[in-house]
Amino acid sequence: MEKIKGRVFFLGDNIDTDQILPGYAMSVPLNELKKYALKGSQIPDFAEKVSPGDVIIGGKNFGCGSSREQAPVALKDSGVGAVVAATFAMIFRKNSVNIGLPAISSGCTERMKEEIDEGDYVEVDLESGTLLHLESGRTYPLNKFSEPASATLKAGGLIDRVRNILRERGELIDRRETQY
Amino acid sequence: MNIIEQIIAQKAGRKKVKAGDELSVPVDLVLAHDVTGPMAIEQFNKIGAARVYDKDKVAFVIDHNIPSSSVDSRRQHNILRDFHRQTGVKLYQRGEGVIHQVAAEEGLYKKGDIVVGADSHTCTAGAFGAIAIPVGATELAAVMALGTIDMEVPHAFLIKVEGTLRPGVYAKDLILYIIGKFGAHGFTDKAVIFSGDAIVNMSFEEKMTIANMAIEAGAMIGYVDQGEPIGAIAGTCVIQASDLEPQIACPYSPDNVKLVKEVEGTPITQVVIGSCTNGRISDLEIAAGVLKDKSISDAVTMIVIPASKRIAEQMEQKNLTKIFRDAGAIIANPGCGPCFGAHQGLLSAEDTAVSTTNRNFPGRMGHKEAKVYLASPRVAAESAIAGSIVDPKNVTSWEG
Repeated sequence: MEKIKGRVFFLGDNIDTDQILPGYAMSVPLNELKKYALKGSQIPDFAEKVSPGDVIIGGKNFGCGSSREQAPVALKDSGVGAVVAATFAMIFRKNSVNIGLPAISSGCTERMKEEIDEGDYVEVDLESGTLLHLESGRTYPLNKFSEPASATLKAGGLIDRVRNILRERGELIDRRETQY
Repeated sequence: MNIIEQIIAQKAGRKKVKAGDELSVPVDLVLAHDVTGPMAIEQFNKIGAARVYDKDKVAFVIDHNIPSSSVDSRRQHNILRDFHRQTGVKLYQRGEGVIHQVAAEEGLYKKGDIVVGADSHTCTAGAFGAIAIPVGATELAAVMALGTIDMEVPHAFLIKVEGTLRPGVYAKDLILYIIGKFGAHGFTDKAVIFSGDAIVNMSFEEKMTIANMAIEAGAMIGYVDQGEPIGAIAGTCVIQASDLEPQIACPYSPDNVKLVKEVEGTPITQVVIGSCTNGRISDLEIAAGVLKDKSISDAVTMIVIPASKRIAEQMEQKNLTKIFRDAGAIIANPGCGPCFGAHQGLLSAEDTAVSTTNRNFPGRMGHKEAKVYLASPRVAAESAIAGSIVDPKNVTSWEG
C-alpha cells in the first residue's frame, strides 16, 4: 500500500457522525457530500481547508453515533488520506475500511497532539504501521489492521472483494453503468 | 458458549465458536431506510450481483424524510421505489412508521435470527432475541449480494437488573443510567446482554427502549434475555432497579447522564415525544396521562410523533390524540421526526429541548449550539407544562 502524506488536522474525543456529516446533508447527491465534511464540527470550513492526503488525528470513540456511510465518504472525497484515532466506534471503522479509507487506531494520539503542530506534514505508512512527523523525524506506532480489514483495503474496498467472490461463483453481471 | 456465541455458532453451522473468531454467517433479515438505502443500492449495482440473495429477506422503510423534506430526499425515495419494482424486495413507503417499529409490528424480528440493518439503532431487534448488527451502506450491499455477513464473534458483557423500578422511573431512565455508567464507548465491539427480573418482566415495548440505546454505549449487539440460559460471561454488572431515580442525558452526549433533579428548573423551548426509542403507545399513554386537562407552557413548542401508523391509530382509539392537541402539542406523522436533524422541528442556537429520542450530539436536532436533553416521556411531558425541566419525583408519589 502507498504511503499517505499530508498535513495534520486534530480533533478531540467522541467526534460523532452528526459532526462529521450532519443529518440534513445525508440526502445530497453522493458527489456533493465532500462539501459537508466536518461541517458540524469545530472545523466547519474543513472542506475548503483540506488538501489531498491530509490526515485527521482524533481521540477516543471517533465516528460514534449513526451508521451513515456518508460520513467517511465525505472525508475521503474531501481528500482525507487517513484517519488516526485513539479508538474508533465500530460502524465508522468498518465503513471507512469498506470504502477504502484507512481508519487506524494508535495508542500514541495524546503524544502526537503534544508533539505535532496542526498543519505539520506527516507520512502514514500502512505497511509498517507508523506515522512519521516529517519536521522532527519522530515516528509513532499505529495499530495493525485485522486480517479481513487489511484484505479489504488491499482490494480497494469491500465492493471489489465481493466482486471477486461472485466472479468465482459465476454470479457476476456488469451493472456498473447503472446510474442513479 | 454464552447465548450470543450459541446463536452465531448455530447459524454458521459450527459446533463451537468463541469471542474473536472470524466467520461468515447467513443473514435472515436485511433492513435499510431512505437515507442509507439509496447508497446501499448504488453500491449493490457497483458490485454487479446477478440478483438480491433473497428478495423476501430484504426490506426498505421510508421513515427519515417522510413526506420528503427536500428535492434530494424525494430522489432517495424514488431510488428505493425503483429498486423495489426491479427486484421485488419489500418496501414500506406509506408512512408506516420508523423502521425498527415497523419491522417489529410486521413480525420480521425472530428469536435467534441474524438481522443486519443500515441504521445504528438496528440493535432494537435485540428486544426480540435477534442478533442485530448495524452496518453502513457498502456492507449492506455486500449482504444483499452474498446473503452472509463477515463478523468477529464479540466478547459479551452481562447487565443484570434486579428488583422493581420506582414510580416515575421507566425503561428510559434505566438505559440512560447504564449509558452514563459505562460511557459512550463502554461496550465498543462488544455484545451487551440485558437480563435480570426487572428486564425480563418488562413489556416488549420497554425492552425495545432498552435494546434501542445499546449503540449509545458503543455496543455491536444489544440482546435482551429471552429466558434461556445465558451461559458463562466474563464481565457482569448487577444493578438494583429500586436504587434508580429519574435520569437525563445532558448536552452534548447520551453518556452525559445526570439525575433529573440536578438540572431541574432549566428553561426549555421545545419538547419532542416520539422516535424508535420512546414513540410507542405505552410512552404516549404516560405523556398523555400527564397532559390530560393541562396546557403546555407558552414558551414551549411540543411535537408528538407516534413511531408507527398502528400506534397513531391506537392514539386515536384511546383518545390520546385529543389530549395532546388540547394541551397545545403538534402531532406529526409517524416517522423519525426531528430526531436526526433534517425536518419537523429543528432547533436554533438559542433553543433548549427535552426529547425522548436517543441522541443529543452537537447539531443532532438543528443548530450545533442547540441543547437537547434526553429523558423519559414522563419527564418530557411534565417539563412541557412547566416550561422548564421537571423531576417527576416532585409530582408523583415516591417512596424512597
